[in-house]
Amino acid sequence: MNIKKSILLRVRIAFLMVLLFCMGIFYRIIKVQYVEGAEWKALAQTIGMKVMKVDATRGNIYSDNGSLLATSLPYYRVAFDPSLPDDRLYESNIDSLSYLLAGFYKDMSQTAYKRKIDEARKNKRQYLMLSRKEIGYQDKKKIENWPIFREGRLRGGVIFEKVEKRILPFSHLGYRTIGTVNDENRGVVGLEYSFNRQLAGKNGQMLYQKMSGGGWKPVYDGTETRPVDGYDVETTIDINIQDIAESALYRALVSHQADYGTVVVMEVKTGEIKAMSNLSRNPEGKYYERYNYAVGSQGSREPGSTFKLASMIALLEDTNLNLDDTIDTGNGELNFFEEVMRDHKPGGYGVLTLKEVFENSSNIGIAKLVTRHFNKDPQRFIDYLYDMGLSQPIGFQMVGEGKPYIKTPADSSWSGTSLPWMSHGYELKMTPLQTLTLYNAVANNGKMIQPIIVKSIRKADKVVEEFKTKTLNSAICSKSTLKKMQIMLEGVVEQGTAKNINNTKYKVAGKTGTAKTVINGKYTNQYYTSFAGYFPAEQPRYSCIVVIDDPKGFQIYGSDVSAPVFKEIADKIYATEMDLHNATLVKNRDFTGIFPVVRSGNRDDLTLICNELGISNHSDESAAPWVKTDIVNNSIFWKSNAISHQIVPDVRGMTLRDALYVLENNGLEVEVYGHGRVVGQSLNPGSKISSIKKIRISLG
Amino acid sequence: MNTLKEWAYRNMKGDPVIWFIIILLSVLSILVVYSATGSLAYKMMEGNTEYYLMKHSALVLLSMVSIWLAHRIDYRYYSGISRLLLWISVPLLVITWKFGTNINEASRWITIPFINQAFQPSDLAKLALLVTLASMLSRRQLKISDFQNAIIPMLVWIGIICGLIALTDVSSAILLFLTCMLMLFIGRVPVKYLVMLVLIGGFSGYVALSIGQRGDTAISRINEFLDDTPSYQARQAYVAMATGGVFGKGPGQSDQRNYLPSAYSDFIYAIIIEEYGIIGGILVLLLYLALLYRGMKTAIQSDRPYAGLLAAGLSFAIVLQALVNMGVAVGLGPITGLPLPFVSMGGTSQLFMGIAVGIILSVSRGELENVGKPMNNQYKEAA
Repeated sequence: MNIKKSILLRVRIAFLMVLLFCMGIFYRIIKVQYVEGAEWKALAQTIGMKVMKVDATRGNIYSDNGSLLATSLPYYRVAFDPSLPDDRLYESNIDSLSYLLAGFYKDMSQTAYKRKIDEARKNKRQYLMLSRKEIGYQDKKKIENWPIFREGRLRGGVIFEKVEKRILPFSHLGYRTIGTVNDENRGVVGLEYSFNRQLAGKNGQMLYQKMSGGGWKPVYDGTETRPVDGYDVETTIDINIQDIAESALYRALVSHQADYGTVVVMEVKTGEIKAMSNLSRNPEGKYYERYNYAVGSQGSREPGSTFKLASMIALLEDTNLNLDDTIDTGNGELNFFEEVMRDHKPGGYGVLTLKEVFENSSNIGIAKLVTRHFNKDPQRFIDYLYDMGLSQPIGFQMVGEGKPYIKTPADSSWSGTSLPWMSHGYELKMTPLQTLTLYNAVANNGKMIQPIIVKSIRKADKVVEEFKTKTLNSAICSKSTLKKMQIMLEGVVEQGTAKNINNTKYKVAGKTGTAKTVINGKYTNQYYTSFAGYFPAEQPRYSCIVVIDDPKGFQIYGSDVSAPVFKEIADKIYATEMDLHNATLVKNRDFTGIFPVVRSGNRDDLTLICNELGISNHSDESAAPWVKTDIVNNSIFWKSNAISHQIVPDVRGMTLRDALYVLENNGLEVEVYGHGRVVGQSLNPGSKISSIKKIRISLG
Repeated sequence: MNTLKEWAYRNMKGDPVIWFIIILLSVLSILVVYSATGSLAYKMMEGNTEYYLMKHSALVLLSMVSIWLAHRIDYRYYSGISRLLLWISVPLLVITWKFGTNINEASRWITIPFINQAFQPSDLAKLALLVTLASMLSRRQLKISDFQNAIIPMLVWIGIICGLIALTDVSSAILLFLTCMLMLFIGRVPVKYLVMLVLIGGFSGYVALSIGQRGDTAISRINEFLDDTPSYQARQAYVAMATGGVFGKGPGQSDQRNYLPSAYSDFIYAIIIEEYGIIGGILVLLLYLALLYRGMKTAIQSDRPYAGLLAAGLSFAIVLQALVNMGVAVGLGPITGLPLPFVSMGGTSQLFMGIAVGIILSVSRGELENVGKPMNNQYKEAA
């Protein structure tokens, strides 16, 4: 047989084998479909596989000192499979179970519960929700021990469905700032929304198979994905300051029957928001946190006189005016084209110095100064505002920051009255937080920094992402202008519109604001009052803005409505923060006579402690790591305490930690008696370490 | 239409039936994989179902390109290339075993630096071994019964490569071993030596099982198969087939894809039957048979033993793997984890399958030019 023929023969044999295998496959297909078909189709019916979500635990929100502001806790809904308990168990206990249910939920009578459960059992239902009310873990433990239920899931039929609920341990405090989540555990407003991505984590999923009993059992088929728990958010909110701010605001809103109010407290140096409170009135006249007016676009309003700060900066930067230069504000009425501008004081202020214009918040004064100087080139004025950074959102961490609106002469809405009206805070829009950022810059020596409310994103103790203070504008104006502005802001409280909140303990600097509200394009007699400033003015620590919209009654001005809230907040913070008080108090405290016990130990440690406490200490030249002490006059003298191999060291006077380290390093076994410092040791110092390796030390 | 025909005629040389079969399988592949990766897409890509469609289509296209490139090269060159690749694949397999990427707890992949593509050196080794074997067999046809000189060198290579692959992937190693045996059988190695080969294979298999990573898996899968109640995967596959009926549920209508693990690779045949019915299942089976038949025809028409053995060996290798995959899906054997060639979703293995078909096509178009001396027909010399 030739080679080719032989090969071909073998190829054909192999092909036949393959053909045979194909027949086998065909046979199996037919068999699975027609012989076993019914069985597999039945399995398909009951297979009841479901890929279900495994919820990731949402991260927590913390205050600046680690208090929980928002966390997720497990809650339970109680359901019942009435088909599971056997007749004897059921009949003898159903009455007492119904009684307990009625007593616990208080939504149906005992007989109604019994009827409902009996009927479900008669209809062989496997699932009955007893109440939609979500109960806590403690209640769950209690219910687990009720009759029938105490037999467990399989014999007693009780079903606890876990739901995670978002809990705010400080309830209403900062409610809107912290934010809320919806039923799907997704943040909808506030920090919960702005940081939802970090807080949410990633849900996992797992394949579950329905069991004949009605429950679901996970199928570990290697395709499951584990949930990744969310990160924690560490905020800058100080719970105490938040509480102070919120209650002060609340009282003011109630007494003035105002529409809404907002307070923001910010740390001057860092830009950290220590409190952010927003309260709005609902139709029943109650106040609650609904919208974040401090940040959001609804809070972007015509600021009124607080904006004179910006106008004055522009004026001082562009001119060489002095604080005691004067301007005639006339009889309190001034016509600009067809519009009439009025001052607050009937009859007008007459001639005022620049400082008095600001302190008394004379609209005519500032408008006259600004128009006189910038009328030829209004764009210059706008340029100053833009350069300060007032035209741009500050890029706050919370989503939905309102955009400031400052128009330019190029805008179609620009008119002859734009410049004078803008000079005292009309025809432009800013949010309270943006205004506060400007005031904070004045307090912070001209450096404008971005407010922050979230310091870091954490996973347990590990920092995942850190947010640092960002500088928006390293100098909003010259040093001399800044100094003048600070003097004028202090003057407002000392002898100006806000002198009602002046006090002797510490200085407050700030500016009142009262703006008429525009409704349907017309200025009405509704007012938007505010006070923005910082304290203590000598060494600014906090800046704060208070806004109260539409106060009713006879008090309608920023000085009467908002400024007192500012004072209350400032007073309380000042009272609680010891280190804001005069440093002289601390210096007088008497420390003499308290001398720490330092006898023997590690030289670096002891030197560090003594230097830290300001205790004079010296040593001989040798740099021995272990030392004993001598007292020479009022200072400590380090004597070397030689520790050498094979010699029993002297550990008397050491702390236990040091003694153990030294002794065990020399190969000794240590037994310890008592507590305190080492007072005695069983082996003599300086003797050779023999075969006896055991040493007893007594502490006292 | 005509221009397309002309273009195909100009560019797709070799057996047009093989081209046709591969294109049919590729189209089916894209349809079924798109359907079967639905739940995978939800799990891994947050519901971006197009991700796997695009990725798989790209790979299908790539394997077509590799077929085209491979079929343009004269098949005689493959002998030398494959010998070189065989040497390279030995260290690659060792590296993979020691340092490879773990996917499903088996390190079968190494990631190529720079292009960051996971690739299975066993695919390369398999192809290189088969081509080398064809060349070695053909050169030894005249002294094929000489065990010492003719058969030993081949056995050494088979033993090394199968053994190394078995360290990480027992099923592939067994399949490759069987394919090699079939090739030796076709290449006129006396049956008594084949028995010896089985012994060597069995021994190296045993060693690999005891020191490799996958021994336990292999044993548990075999136990599972011998056990009376089918495993979870197998039951889901049977449900898929049973509910498919004669005509199937229609493209993209599978229910079992959600419950059947690896529906897009190991068990894709079950999904094909579910969606396209017995008709579809038989059609796919026939396509592979036709591929094998055309491969054999190529072998018969070739002039040299090397060409014949090459075409026959590679055709059998492809089709055997297909049959094993289908056999597993219908419950004829234990779960192997082998993909269905040209249909399953699977990275570089698609590429190497493409090259294998390309080589068969290259054989079918014959020698491109006479290299140096007049064409000598070794069959005649041998006879």
